[in-house]
Amino acid sequence: MKRNPNAFLNEEYGELVKKSLDWKLRILETGSTPHSVVDGKEVIMLCSNNYLNLSNHPRLIQAAIDASKKYGAGSGSVRPIAGTMKLHMEVEKRLAKFKGTESSLIYQTGFAANAGLIPQLAAKGDIIISDELNHGSIIDGVRLTKTDRAIYKHRNMVELEKALNNADKKYNRILIITDGVFSMDGDIAPMDKIVKLGSEYGAMTYVDDAHGEGVIGPDGRGIGAHFGIEGQIDVEMGTFSKAYGVVGGLIAGSQDLVNFAYNKSRTWLLSGSHPPAVAAAQLAAIDVLETEPEHVKNLWNNTNYFKKELKSMGFDTGDSETPITPVIVGESSIAKELSNLLFGEGVFALPIVFPMVARDKARIRTMMNAGLKREDLDFALEKFEKLGKKLDII
Amino acid sequence: MQSRIGFIVNPIAGMGGRVGLKGTDGVLKKAVELGAKPLAPKKAQEMLKEFVSNFSKNEGIKWFTCKGDMGSNELQNAGIKDIEIVYETADKNTSAEDTKKACKRFLDLDVDLILFCGGDGTARDIFEIVDNKIPILGIPSGVKMHSGAFGINTSATAKMLHEFVNKNLTIGDVEIMDLDEDLYRKGEWNIRLFGIAKGIVEPTYIQVGKSFYESVSDDEIKDELTEHIIDEIEQNNDYLYIFGPGGTIDYIARKMNVDNTLLGIDAVYKKKLVGKDINEKKILKLLDKYQNAKVILSPIGAQGFILGRGNLQLSPRVIKRIGVDNIIVISTPSKLVHTPVIRVDAGDKTLDKQFADLEYIMVVTGYRFSRVVKIQTNNF
Ligand SMILES: Cc1ncc(COP(=O)(O)O)c(C=O)c1O
Repeated sequence: MKRNPNAFLNEEYGELVKKSLDWKLRILETGSTPHSVVDGKEVIMLCSNNYLNLSNHPRLIQAAIDASKKYGAGSGSVRPIAGTMKLHMEVEKRLAKFKGTESSLIYQTGFAANAGLIPQLAAKGDIIISDELNHGSIIDGVRLTKTDRAIYKHRNMVELEKALNNADKKYNRILIITDGVFSMDGDIAPMDKIVKLGSEYGAMTYVDDAHGEGVIGPDGRGIGAHFGIEGQIDVEMGTFSKAYGVVGGLIAGSQDLVNFAYNKSRTWLLSGSHPPAVAAAQLAAIDVLETEPEHVKNLWNNTNYFKKELKSMGFDTGDSETPITPVIVGESSIAKELSNLLFGEGVFALPIVFPMVARDKARIRTMMNAGLKREDLDFALEKFEKLGKKLDII
Repeated sequence: MQSRIGFIVNPIAGMGGRVGLKGTDGVLKKAVELGAKPLAPKKAQEMLKEFVSNFSKNEGIKWFTCKGDMGSNELQNAGIKDIEIVYETADKNTSAEDTKKACKRFLDLDVDLILFCGGDGTARDIFEIVDNKIPILGIPSGVKMHSGAFGINTSATAKMLHEFVNKNLTIGDVEIMDLDEDLYRKGEWNIRLFGIAKGIVEPTYIQVGKSFYESVSDDEIKDELTEHIIDEIEQNNDYLYIFGPGGTIDYIARKMNVDNTLLGIDAVYKKKLVGKDINEKKILKLLDKYQNAKVILSPIGAQGFILGRGNLQLSPRVIKRIGVDNIIVISTPSKLVHTPVIRVDAGDKTLDKQFADLEYIMVVTGYRFSRVVKIQTNNF
């Protein structure tokens, strides 16, 4: 029988649709702004990662325009061949300074950083020790290695130490990887303790600070600054696609790390570099963070107000310590229904359901934005209260 | 689609315990004299009421059951209507024979699940008839059940039934364990592993897309564990490997073409069987012959014991000879969901202390993949 090479595409997609597991893409008709128009409806945006609203900042936009005019729309090559512009180098220099590290390297995306670098940091005979809730891009990076892997319970330092203790005798290199800010719960990894354990056991430490970059620490300098341990985390990985308001992955650490990373990361070596507009906007984002502290301040004021009000209404917001505030409602079906009703009322926030989170911990995940006004928050809060009561959550 | 559930209560289960007697088989008369009251009907009703009030809105279940306190009374008292009585006892004093006969009916009727309320003995009686042809789920009638077929309490059991009916749980191995009553009469207390039944377990998920996950079958996980163990054995070519009891280790052995025993202890050297269903004495003899040894264990039963339940052959002398560092614990992730703590009852104070001092143990849950799990010992 002659096989149909494409049949599985439609079959498998059909399965997803049948189980309602396919992504129904929501289309933005505006930019990613605090008030966005999504599928024709004006909504308060509570699910963008544009925490500081920098994607709409005039300085970033202008920098992108100017760089495009001066250097063109694309970079023409991969970084190692002919795709490294002065602009790229400038971003890396400025970023290292901002983060208090010796050096830094820009990847195309955060995903490309994790998937490209992690597989180079450990080989057969080594072990990677991970928090059980690490992001998918870390998991994929780890999957590309031939190392042993061990998992410790979320943020549990006693378990991490046990894993280190066990690994100490058996392996060559040990690598500890954790998210900095966990994207489902908005809680923060105890990085000071992880660094201390790492140095006790001679283990390398790697943090994915995608949701902490531009958010936590003084002026949003990230998790190193948050704990006052700048330069002590061996690999600080992050992204320009969230609070920085642009796109692009990053790592910050020693010069040795950067030299090693750009010679060995296949994602970095074999994929085109950022267009000038992107690099210039990244640079402008760092400028803004260094000179306009009000954005980070607004973000936290909004976050604290929103969290406090949700709690006083009786919502369970879990262990969040950051602008990611989960509203835990219980069963998956309730979370989905609440999200739909909220959208109908003009509030855009997505449900997170089993098995992303425990069966009885389905939630709406809200992400705060520095550009939202107090009346916007009150509008959203009123809807949460009304629908929370309607669905018997509060 | 409508679920077909066989429901049976062992009305006299757990009666001995209340008056300080272990097990009810043969001691019922004495228990009643000492003032024991039937517990199982009450527990069953509690669970059913919980199920009805919390979950069963749209769950069209067809219930097959036994007359009177063996099932229909409890169902009716919980307000359940769609009941068909398929067995009736001849004698008002029910016995293990009634449980078995009712289960034969459930087998004929090809039910999707047998829900039962009773103790470890009840689970064993049911298993003797249904083997692993039908999954079973136990409502615990007493405090501490040994068999893995039980939910941890009535409300957890109600939730499991709900998730099963909604196809959110899958079918996996659960150990049937009971008190060895012959030994017990001689004054020895031994929980033996009686068999591996089908129970309902949490599936293992892997993230495929972003918010969408695929569940991985237990067999796929066991295949991974097999690869891991083969690597392990090949890397330690001069080690004797003692294979503990249970479904996971048995699966691995069979994949390696080792003719292993499901419930017993076996020994493997260079991937070949060198000792089958061996007792303590034979294990010690093998340990004399081979200098280096490791033992592979998997948590068994409702409490997740790796030592002290169902494998007394692995005596304190054996474990001391092998060394605590040479214990490899493996488990499917779904098992760890059910028993998130590894328990040890090594049968010896200094050994128990050694385990207690570890506090945690690495449990292999996939190919070159392990997680940190807490250890609990009986005496510390
Ligand atoms: C924790 C974490 N790491 C990495 C990434 C990937 O970053 P990027 O969007 O730059 O690829 C994300 C984004 O979703 C993330 O949440």
